[in-house]
Amino acid sequence: MATVLWIVNGTLTATLLRDNDADIETVGNGFRDEGIEEAVEVIKQRLGNPKYGRHIRPDNYMVLENDQGEVLAGNLPLQPRRMGVFSTLLPMPKGPHGEPFPATLLGRGTEIAPGAYLFVGRDVRPMLATRARIIDAFVLVAIGAVAIAVAAGLYLGRRLARRVDAVARACESIVAGRMDDRIELTGGDDEWDRLASVINDMLNRIAALLENLRQVSSDVAHDLRTPLTRLRNRLERAREESATSADYVGAICAAINDTDQILSIFASLLRISQVEAGGRKLKFAAVDLSALCERVFRIYLPVAEDYGHRLTANLAHGMVVQGDQELLTQMVINLIENAIHHTPEGSAIELALAGDMGGVLAVTDDGPGIPKDQTEKVLQRFYRLSSSRGSPGHGLGLALVAAVVQLHGGQIALEDAAPGLRVSIRFPA
Amino acid sequence: MSNPSGKRLLLIEDDVEFATSLASRLCESGYAVEHCADGRRGLTAALSQDFDALIVDRMLPGIDGLTLVKSVRQQKSTPVIYLTTMSGIDERVQGLEAGGDDYLVKPFAFAELLARIRALTRRTTQPLTRLNAGAIEMDLVARSVTRAGRAVELVPQEFKLLEFLLRNVERVVTRKMLLEKVWDVYFDPGTNVVESHISRLRASLNAGFDSDPIQTVRGEGYRLLAIK
Repeated sequence: MATVLWIVNGTLTATLLRDNDADIETVGNGFRDEGIEEAVEVIKQRLGNPKYGRHIRPDNYMVLENDQGEVLAGNLPLQPRRMGVFSTLLPMPKGPHGEPFPATLLGRGTEIAPGAYLFVGRDVRPMLATRARIIDAFVLVAIGAVAIAVAAGLYLGRRLARRVDAVARACESIVAGRMDDRIELTGGDDEWDRLASVINDMLNRIAALLENLRQVSSDVAHDLRTPLTRLRNRLERAREESATSADYVGAICAAINDTDQILSIFASLLRISQVEAGGRKLKFAAVDLSALCERVFRIYLPVAEDYGHRLTANLAHGMVVQGDQELLTQMVINLIENAIHHTPEGSAIELALAGDMGGVLAVTDDGPGIPKDQTEKVLQRFYRLSSSRGSPGHGLGLALVAAVVQLHGGQIALEDAAPGLRVSIRFPA
Repeated sequence: MSNPSGKRLLLIEDDVEFATSLASRLCESGYAVEHCADGRRGLTAALSQDFDALIVDRMLPGIDGLTLVKSVRQQKSTPVIYLTTMSGIDERVQGLEAGGDDYLVKPFAFAELLARIRALTRRTTQPLTRLNAGAIEMDLVARSVTRAGRAVELVPQEFKLLEFLLRNVERVVTRKMLLEKVWDVYFDPGTNVVESHISRLRASLNAGFDSDPIQTVRGEGYRLLAIK
């Protein structure tokens, strides 16, 4: 503001002084060229003598004096012969144009010739008025700008506060234990929405890990109890009922078997939770799924035969997926073993692979299948169909398959093969 | 303790009670066992003396098992088997990449460890083109097998299995070892995979003969006998 004032003031003053100097030069030129009479004429002309057809310049004052103290021309009374730029109070009660007095003149005194004193001055009031108008306009604009800035600031601040509040509320709510709360998106696709969606993704991942942890803890707590109970019971009975050392050896062998069973459940649970935690994704490499299936098929051909099943393979060549070789092997093995265990002797099992990049892996049997309402449940840990209670397994095989499929970004579907079950796994291209 | 095999093992394991029990069982099986309870002393011992195999826990005070094995590998090629509770897939891969030769997750059957130590300590490093045991001969280049001079037709799965048995002739190999080394299966499947393949191999190998060189060792695994 002060800068603007300073610039305006300087510019206006400079203009006024330049005008004064132009007048002095014109009068001086007139004198040099044609003498004092011409100088007097120029002054009259400059001051707007109607004779010269000039409009009256109400703010222009001049006086030309000789060395006898006589006014030769001009619209001012005799002035003290002061030199240089100065301002002076106009000593007349009323100006030649009827303007109210006193007025302040800013001008320059000079000798255009020895003894010939010329003073040219201008009333500063028009300049002051201009300055005032500029300042007024400026102040108005400044007030407007500040008002708009404040309003915009308040609006943006409010908006920001609202968004921050939304994030804070969601976080507080999660801290308070409502793990499924998320930050609401405004749908504006701005940086806030992007941030919120990243935070939401992070929360989803954390929630999934927590759920995984919770699930494992509860599995360990509940489902390992069953075999541990059996083991304990066996040992107790051995203590009470064993008569010979052979009895003891038998009981100990059985107990070791039970322990191995428990360890195997434990290993499966850990494996599933490791897969579900998703860390293995970082180690993905290109896996030739066709070769992998071929290998598993070769391993299981005699196994299926010994269990009285017919295992066949129909494998497309060169199907490659980004994945984990070992987990994919276990996945295919689990699917085949699942079919072996849960179909009656003489059933046919087909391992099929269709497509090249991406594609579908399917294991189909012609056994009893799975009731439609339970296809989801069999993918859960420890879930076993009532019809399969007698067959081996802990209900973890398909849960691991589901976890491996999810890790690989695939989709698993359990379909009715009419008759039988088809487990098909679609891999992303 | 008797030490007929003359083989020396270094056991680096910080659980002293477990280590003591393990060492005494290994002694009973004919090994001389030295035990170190921390990584630093274990490393010193492994570098300053010659052992036939190192048995290394992964989580050790002082220097961890992985670093220890890496350091040993820079100077020596002593066979290493890890004995660890770290059961993740990546952990096994890390262990083998650090220079270990085998990886056994605790808890384990003693017979399993013993079989693996025997396999490690009798390992030959030269690449072989022929393997034989008694009357059985295998040509690894021509991929052919004969028994008492008669050609035996084997499918690739049977060939791989027999090759592994031949490399460990007269030694017990466990089901777990076969699953891992022959079929790359690193978990316990729910079916009798090994039994099925052994029975196929027996059928192919014994056709026309009345003796069975593949001995079933109850509760442990199988052993290929060098019989004429």
